[in-house]
Amino acid sequence: MSSNVALDGVVTFAEGLPGFENCRQFVVVGSLEMQPFTVVQGLDSGGPSFVAIDPRRVTGDYATKLERVDLARLGSNGQDPLLWLAIVGAQEDGSATANLRAPLVINPTAMRGIQLIGVDSAYPIDHPLQVG
Amino acid sequence: MLVFTRRLDEAIIIGDGIEVKVLRIGKDGVRLGVSAAPHVPVHRREVYDQIRAANAAAAAAAAASPQQLVERLRGRLASASKPLLP
Repeated sequence: MSSNVALDGVVTFAEGLPGFENCRQFVVVGSLEMQPFTVVQGLDSGGPSFVAIDPRRVTGDYATKLERVDLARLGSNGQDPLLWLAIVGAQEDGSATANLRAPLVINPTAMRGIQLIGVDSAYPIDHPLQVG
Repeated sequence: MLVFTRRLDEAIIIGDGIEVKVLRIGKDGVRLGVSAAPHVPVHRREVYDQIRAANAAAAAAAAASPQQLVERLRGRLASASKPLLP
């Protein structure tokens, strides 16, 4: 396993991501030099790349519940450790935000991922990355 | 677009297993109940559109070089008063 790869292999987002429904295959790239960021890179042609961050690095008490149906979409038995990533948006003024409303959730055991769109999440789609 | 008139407790069926039922008709809105198989995603339109737009903007920012964007973000965070960096 290469040292700059956060997940070894290809993660399948069976439903795609809103706006990029046709890109299903992604790799998750990270390294010490990139911390605390991770790059989620689409493999299909014209596939998008995203910079992402663990939402708990953005707000320590981050807690979003997964429904049973979400676990099923992830091929998870509920015991597998899951990788949570909030997509980072760069604003025009140079500031950055994290999408805590709809995080990417990846089950490394099954190499399956979803973008979680909870029905009643109270988290903002554009939480400022820089606090204070 | 198909247009239906439905009353309280009446429903429409979409395809093989999706039912949309009128649960309440109030002054401020209509309450709908959606029954669908677990794998069928159901979202409020405006929420879905917001997430779509956020995804597009985030992908556009990273399109040229995700690694460069990471560098820039790290630079900004390092100079923040409450840095996120370890």
